[in-house]
Amino acid sequence: MIYDFLFKITDSNIIASIIQSLLPLFIFILPFALFAVWLERKVSAHMQDRLGPMRVGYHGALQTIADILKLVQKEDIIPNEADKPLFNIAPVLVFIGSYAVFAAIPFSGAFIGSNIDLGIIFIIAASGFVVAGILMAGWASNNKYSLLGAMRSAAQIISYEIPTVLVVLTIIMITGTTNLQTLSEMQTGHFWNWMILGGPKFGIAKFIFIPFMIINFIIIYISTLAEVNRTPFDIPEAESELVSGYHTEYSGMKFAMFFLAEYANMFAVSAIVTALFFGGYQSPVGYVGNLFGIHWLIPIEQFFWFTAKGIFFVFVQMWLRWTLPRLRVDQLMTACWKYLIPIAFVNLIIIGLITVL
Amino acid sequence: MNVYDLIFYLFAAITILSAFFVVTTRNIVYSAYYLLFTFFGVAGIYVLLGADFIAMVQLIVYVGGILILLLFGVMLTNKITNVDIKSGTIHTVPATIGVALFAGIILASMWNTNWKNVNSDMQVASTQHLGFLLIHQYALVFELLGILLLIALIGAASMARK
Amino acid sequence: MKEYFNNAWSALYTIFVGMKITFKHLFVPSVTIQYPDVKLQLPERERNRLYVNMDDCIGCDQCARACPVDCITIETVKGIPGEDLGKTSNGKKKALWVTKFDIDFAKCCYCQLCVFPCPTECIYMTDVYEFSEFERSNLIYDFVTLTPQEREDKKNNYAKFEAEKAAEKAAAKPAPATKPIENQETPKP
Ligand code: SF4
Ligand code: SF4
Repeated sequence: MIYDFLFKITDSNIIASIIQSLLPLFIFILPFALFAVWLERKVSAHMQDRLGPMRVGYHGALQTIADILKLVQKEDIIPNEADKPLFNIAPVLVFIGSYAVFAAIPFSGAFIGSNIDLGIIFIIAASGFVVAGILMAGWASNNKYSLLGAMRSAAQIISYEIPTVLVVLTIIMITGTTNLQTLSEMQTGHFWNWMILGGPKFGIAKFIFIPFMIINFIIIYISTLAEVNRTPFDIPEAESELVSGYHTEYSGMKFAMFFLAEYANMFAVSAIVTALFFGGYQSPVGYVGNLFGIHWLIPIEQFFWFTAKGIFFVFVQMWLRWTLPRLRVDQLMTACWKYLIPIAFVNLIIIGLITVL
Repeated sequence: MNVYDLIFYLFAAITILSAFFVVTTRNIVYSAYYLLFTFFGVAGIYVLLGADFIAMVQLIVYVGGILILLLFGVMLTNKITNVDIKSGTIHTVPATIGVALFAGIILASMWNTNWKNVNSDMQVASTQHLGFLLIHQYALVFELLGILLLIALIGAASMARK
Repeated sequence: MKEYFNNAWSALYTIFVGMKITFKHLFVPSVTIQYPDVKLQLPERERNRLYVNMDDCIGCDQCARACPVDCITIETVKGIPGEDLGKTSNGKKKALWVTKFDIDFAKCCYCQLCVFPCPTECIYMTDVYEFSEFERSNLIYDFVTLTPQEREDKKNNYAKFEAEKAAEKAAAKPAPATKPIENQETPKP
């Protein structure tokens, strides 16, 4: 819909698609990152009975902007012994990986970057670039901490991709689609049509699904948490052991790019969880637009619900971060290979059987 | 020449150039990263051919899996990153013959195949089709491949335990 | 098998317990204060920047001698007879002009040892603790209330008086006139 509109004003499909591809960055990721950094600080502060940033703007609301200004002015330091080309490409690659994910995320009925059939699979594929970028950053920095952090990060992301994909597979089995837009449309109506509550089809199967869906949700939430390297799975950036992991050597704008990618990733995984289990952009209670017959309001409402759900899950990520201590590497692998993957497999088989029967 | 052609040539150029650099560069880590772009270019060409599922699998398996494992191997191996790869010319005559033979086979098969012409901007729901083919027509091959991979997996696990 | 599920369950359960605790803390009023705007009540006997009340100082140099890091520098000249130097608040008569009273707060360790020996209790701790500076030399505080001109005058007066006295003595008793050693070091402004 947005594309049609852009096509109408610019009258050229190339310009229209370029503008459309830039939209999520400027209307969503940048403001979201600004907000999320502030939220992170505030949440962490209040959970520790502090106040957090208070001086720039109301309750420190403009603090992130001040920080960005500081980062922009910083000198761009490249270590002498670093591998310069790779060192420069790495943040770009990481950012490309996490930005590409946004192409397939349905923000509302009217706006999805690219409504491809393989939405969720595309997201999984695109995140592969993030791993490559992280390894590149770690290796190019020529610093043992960076390299160790990158290694850990890559190992962790690869391991935790398996439970994620298994859970995604169960959803694909139930719904028969990998298109996130269709998936969201299916869960329309009220919140009891959401996948976490058994999906839109009413019947005996719906109620059998519910416990498995909840387990599925927990598994995918934990594993996506690990994929974006957040505490308790932040051993790639473990400050007490590795300075700050793969981006130890980065400064200025390149560091800002890693930071932006990290926060974009946080929202992306929350968006995936939302789209898969919590009705995507569908409102839980119905639309104001429908009530009064104002139809152009519905996409805006959908956008609101989607971001609200997404930000709620981002908030839960922060909440977990300030609750749980960091896992050890062996515990991390145990949690993935001995707990998440077997349980996800059993879930997959059971749900497969239920769908077939 | 429309947009699709342009994009095709872009991806083709990425693929071929990066493939060329994979074999010529001296630094093994650079090689691995050029391979990333090769895979990416190939995936792009798959998408242009309407095989989007294959493209995604290409990215997941090669970029997300194989390439990372490769990099892991390279980075974890002590001192391998600084070793110059030997790139002198040896056995010129047999090598030329081998390459010529191989190129001949490829070219011959290219010219003799009856290529299907598909409109590049045609939308095909290839995934469903592919699934049907795999489960119905090629079920046996599919299962055999699965068993083969399982054997490889068990073998690797038992070797790792020793 | 049972242990396996127990493990999984206890992990999940304890996560929720932890989350409940942190969630409660989200609404606990903060224990920190907004420092430059709000300040903590200082304890009664806090030790911060020193202050010297020069009206009471008799220039006895006791504080400088007590200081373990020698950060107080005092120079005095005697008043000439007939000059009224005033009295301290507890009735002592002053006999010395203090021409230099510098405290280097870059060195001071706030031990308060200089406060106790003072006979007139004119050196004491204040509650000012925010006095950081960009230049270290700015931390040398000069407490003397006399203007530089006056300080010079006092010194010259005394030197003149001494010289006169020496001249008188020399006149009375023909002895070699010794010039008093003049301390011409100018005090820091
Ligand atoms: S407080 Fe201690 S260090 Fe400071 S001037 Fe007095 S005696 Fe010296
Ligand atoms: S001890 Fe007191 S009176 Fe004596 S010089 Fe120090 S401040 Fe002045």
